[in-house]
Amino acid sequence: MAKFEFRLPDIGEGVVEGEIVKWLVSVGDTIAEDQALVEVMTDKATVTIPSPKAGKVVERHGNEGEIAKVHGTLVVLETEGGAAEAPAPAAAHAAAPAPAAAAAPKAAPAAEEGRRVLATPVTRRMAREHGVNLAAVVGTGPQGRVTKEDLLGFVSGGAANQAVPAAQPGMQLPPAPAVVATAADQRIPIRGLRRKIAENLVRSKQSAPHYHFVEEVDATDLVALRDRLNAKLAKSGEKLSFLPFIVKAVIGALKKNPRCNAVMDEAAQELVIRGEYNIGIAVATDDGLVVPVIHHADKLSMREIAKEIVRLSDAARNRKLSQADIGGGTFTITSLGQTGGLFATPILNHPEVAIMGVHRMRKRPVVNDAGEIVVRDIMNLSWAFDHRNVDGAEGAKFAYDVIDLVTDPDKLMLEMA
Amino acid sequence: MPVLNLLQAVNDALRTEMRRDDRVVVLGEDVGKFGGVFRATAGLYEEFGENRVIDTPLAEGGIVGAAIGMSLYGMRPVPEVQFADFIYPAYDQIVSELAKFRYRSGGQYPCSMVIRTPYGGGIKGGLYHSQSPESVFIHHAGLKVVVPSNPYDAKGLLLSAMRQEDPVLFMEPKRIYRAAKGEVPEEDYTVPLEKAALLREGDDVTVIAWGAMLHEAVAAVDEAEKKSGIRCDLLDLRTLWPLDIDAVVASAKKTGRVVVVHEAARTCGLGAEISALIQERAFVHLEAPVKRVTGWDTPFPYTLDDAYLPRAPRILQGIHDVVEFVA
Repeated sequence: MAKFEFRLPDIGEGVVEGEIVKWLVSVGDTIAEDQALVEVMTDKATVTIPSPKAGKVVERHGNEGEIAKVHGTLVVLETEGGAAEAPAPAAAHAAAPAPAAAAAPKAAPAAEEGRRVLATPVTRRMAREHGVNLAAVVGTGPQGRVTKEDLLGFVSGGAANQAVPAAQPGMQLPPAPAVVATAADQRIPIRGLRRKIAENLVRSKQSAPHYHFVEEVDATDLVALRDRLNAKLAKSGEKLSFLPFIVKAVIGALKKNPRCNAVMDEAAQELVIRGEYNIGIAVATDDGLVVPVIHHADKLSMREIAKEIVRLSDAARNRKLSQADIGGGTFTITSLGQTGGLFATPILNHPEVAIMGVHRMRKRPVVNDAGEIVVRDIMNLSWAFDHRNVDGAEGAKFAYDVIDLVTDPDKLMLEMA
Repeated sequence: MPVLNLLQAVNDALRTEMRRDDRVVVLGEDVGKFGGVFRATAGLYEEFGENRVIDTPLAEGGIVGAAIGMSLYGMRPVPEVQFADFIYPAYDQIVSELAKFRYRSGGQYPCSMVIRTPYGGGIKGGLYHSQSPESVFIHHAGLKVVVPSNPYDAKGLLLSAMRQEDPVLFMEPKRIYRAAKGEVPEEDYTVPLEKAALLREGDDVTVIAWGAMLHEAVAAVDEAEKKSGIRCDLLDLRTLWPLDIDAVVASAKKTGRVVVVHEAARTCGLGAEISALIQERAFVHLEAPVKRVTGWDTPFPYTLDDAYLPRAPRILQGIHDVVEFVA
């Protein structure tokens, strides 16, 4: 018999920890090689970790809901075979860093707060001379380094600094007020996916000056077309939502307005116009918002897009999204369906430069060209643009190109690739 | 004013000082009748005779040891070690005796002498005729180490070295013995030791070099300005030790970016010391880590000496590295 210590492997680029969502084995279980051990939710996806060896589980580190660190011990197995199976004697476990799961909940936030601000000596001196706490300045340099330009932007009040046009204006994070505890409180740690969502949204709002654009859309013809198509599909059990049509309309408009199908390279201060049409679909899950991506949506048929949306939404809700499902988006659609409200102000899916929100559709009275009041299927669409890269008129043109294709689905059919 | 090469300037300095001070003697392998392997002592034997221009056996320990003895008895010997690569047989004499006499005798025995030695690569000399051992001697307190980069300085620095009380290791960059030409006054003049020369002025980057590498640095600095508008302070250290720290630090503070160039191997080379001094004295002014552009940590290669030496393109890259570093 030998002991085998299995540590949480590096499960994705840049991932350093994950929340233990569900243990699939218990101490005392005898397991086979490749048997699933545990579900771990990282800030990118929930993954099931299989066991590299067969054996009996003798130790399990970390409870569900706790954080497991990459390279921290997950389980210890008793395996058949010689001593060579044991990479470290049992005594070494105590000498190794404290079991990850036990220490992590406290260590992780502390490490986050105590993180050293990266800056060169000259920037530190200038910060001292200006009486600026570097921790308050958002760094845009390599690895988040606070650059001289960041500091100058911060000192000049955070406004776009004419003297250093390439600079990102620095932004002050006000000191967080202390939260006084009361007996009825429930405290929920902001971790994993939730923390990543928070970081991404803060990053997006801080770096990209958003402007929003909202317009009302007459979708009556689209409703009719969808009804006809769904009638045809009824036998096969397939069903089209409005989303595949909207995805295709967006692609049509992106082709006419390529600067909206782009991401902002902050480090290089360059707008990267993407040649692919990978449309992210924001999906609400119990854990939080995730944005799986319909890759090469321009090359898929309407049915294929519908299927892909179903697959991605199910995977998102069941925490089965792969890394490939999440990355590479070029434009995002956020659709709240019937809970979509009159309109909303979407936040850019950083570093993309445009996002579109789809809102509740309902029958409303409208005045037609003949001056009559008629009942039509109306919904609102909203957009956010990164104003550094997309000006108002440009964004509006893109918006009306989308609206044109949604309002007139015949035209959409003619233009669809 | 006559135009001389660096060798002729050395020869001129030796002749000038031997005429001025009859305590000065020259000794070494082939320095007499043959006039030196590079002809640095040509004509001295004819003018000053065998008692002041002494051919010796090929024994560096003996050459330097004998010179130390002469010096202790009041003479001003200028021994030649034919290649710096072969200075190690005299190493014990230099670091245990020469470098320490003045200190251990409380100043009673200055032990004034100048060891001349050609050094450096770029002449396809292979691993035993290309090395740059300056930092080995800088590490032992008590010696001054001087490297000229042009004929004017060669004469002026050598005359200064021969006229002061501390022992001096005078290292001659043999690659530019004949390549470096310039006007050299016929008259007696000196160039002060321990003073760096500022050859170019600019606010963007400080480039520090000496000897043959100075010429590569000039090419890189001029290219940087012409192609990219990067303006450099270019310092020729001239005396490697004691270092003109004030000049180095002042320039580092001005530009915040420093590139040190030397052909000796990187590890524990003088560039490491200069980098540390700048870090200690100008830390808060630095916009980028000090960059070293140097030879490699290998024996000097026989066939790849162009790849080993920091030529202008590599120095130019170093300049761009420190400029493009995000501060």
